[in-house]
Amino acid sequence: MNPRVIVLVVLSAACVAAAPFVGGSLDGAQGDYILQQLRIPRVLMAVLVGGTMGLVGACYQTIFANPLAAPSTVGTTAGATVGAMMAVVLGTPAWLEDFGFPVMALAAFIGALVVSFVISLISTSGRARVNDVLLAGIAMTLAAGAISTGLQYTADERQLQAAVLWSLGHLSQVGYRGVLMLLPFVVLCGAVLLLQARALNSLLGGEDRAHSQGVDVPRLRALVLGVGALAVAGCVAWCGPIAFVGLIVPHFVRLFVGTDRRRLLPLSFIAGAGFLAACDTVARLALPDRELPVGVLTAGLGAPLLVWLIASQRKS
Amino acid sequence: MASDLSLENVSVAAGRKVLLDAVSMRVAKGQFLALVGPNGAGKTTVLRAALGLTDATGSVILDGSPVRQWKGLERAARAAWLPQHPAVIEPVTALELVCAARLRFHEPRHASESAALAALERAGVAAFAGRAVTTLSGGERQRVAVAALLAQDAPLLLLDEPANHLDPGQQIALYRLLGELWREGRGVLCVTHDVNLLGWLGEPARVRVAGLRDGRVAFESRYDAPELPALLSSLFEIEMRALHVDDRRLLVPAGGAP
Repeated sequence: MNPRVIVLVVLSAACVAAAPFVGGSLDGAQGDYILQQLRIPRVLMAVLVGGTMGLVGACYQTIFANPLAAPSTVGTTAGATVGAMMAVVLGTPAWLEDFGFPVMALAAFIGALVVSFVISLISTSGRARVNDVLLAGIAMTLAAGAISTGLQYTADERQLQAAVLWSLGHLSQVGYRGVLMLLPFVVLCGAVLLLQARALNSLLGGEDRAHSQGVDVPRLRALVLGVGALAVAGCVAWCGPIAFVGLIVPHFVRLFVGTDRRRLLPLSFIAGAGFLAACDTVARLALPDRELPVGVLTAGLGAPLLVWLIASQRKS
Repeated sequence: MASDLSLENVSVAAGRKVLLDAVSMRVAKGQFLALVGPNGAGKTTVLRAALGLTDATGSVILDGSPVRQWKGLERAARAAWLPQHPAVIEPVTALELVCAARLRFHEPRHASESAALAALERAGVAAFAGRAVTTLSGGERQRVAVAALLAQDAPLLLLDEPANHLDPGQQIALYRLLGELWREGRGVLCVTHDVNLLGWLGEPARVRVAGLRDGRVAFESRYDAPELPALLSSLFEIEMRALHVDDRRLLVPAGGAP
């Protein structure tokens, strides 16, 4: 096996395995509780969310033939944000909350799916070029941002605080319930996306060549976009928008293992999981008296890393 | 698999503009049909219609069935296409690019790699297997693209200006290779601007040339037919003369009106 693959897997696995044990003392019954009920589910959530973002980012960058394509740039994340903001600001029926129904998660999910459905319709229209679809995603992101801001403007203080907290992106307070609800989405969507690796490899040689080699390009694009949206919507609904993981992780993995999607897709999942677990650990320990939302950290790290990557690729 | 291709009265329009107007042609197993014509004559549109990539009226029959009735992988087993400007979006290696052409074969990775290496060897670019395609010269890149066609192993090849942007030596080497592939029994439909390159295929008497102008087939002739210079003169609206160098006939534009 390629030594670079081994390094990447071992490094990611080490980040995940060490994450629950880094931080304050875990002695005694309280320590057991912190480890088992707080930190382990939190790391599991980082694995699911980070892995999904990495995998979906790698797939999006292939179908859009654009290194800037990611869940956060094609509208998926923005759609989920609008849905969640609506749930917070417009309120939810009391009986649903009494029943324990995750209304905010469901609303975010619907928001992401609506945006992805629109983008899917554009991508399968047959006349849309790759850049048209990406531009449509950016337009949807801007529109969704405007709606979210408008909703926040009409919110009262309590609603506004809840909305802002959610929009910062976090992995705490999700617990095993969130992990168990998200797991089937990630497994199913991940399996479908990984099965497209060979067709996505063909797409690297351009749309025309992929068509000649037997790929139904509009169908592949719609499938990857739809399934990716489903997985990302699930993640965003539970954890808020966690930016840059889907954008930056596939770039680094490609530098390590090359462009073959049969390697790149599973390794983007693994590296995304390790990266988010590491970021969440740093976010947990960065401030002495409170936690830093992990979305703030990933955005803070991701933006300069992306600029560095673009600059280094231009040089090469 | 015979994989004959026949177009009968195929018309294509983009809005009010007619791109193809009742075009009919046929390429059977072991036949070479070169498609020539001025810029904008509709040559690439013929190839796109042949692959079912564009909405067309009339009938496009590939291996006995309408081309759009074949599923993607079934069509890929019958016809392979070398587009004019195949874009590569990332620094894909030559081996990876050619491996991707094995999509229609449900085979393990090592089987794809050995078939791809054999195709690269045949195209004379095995030494570049591990190099990123984006770092290769135009000629090397085009040979890698031909290797991908070989790896796809379809009996019909559709080629769009395969010698574009190549130097004369590379152009001749490429057409010699295409001649070998054709004489092995493949059908070839090849768009070209330079009819003289067809002379490097070998067996000029078996090469057919179809002239396309304003979306219509203006003529179909044998490459060695004495009337071809006059037909090309009319097609390109410039006088074409035949020069004989050794045993080779070269058609050159003389510059005057036809």
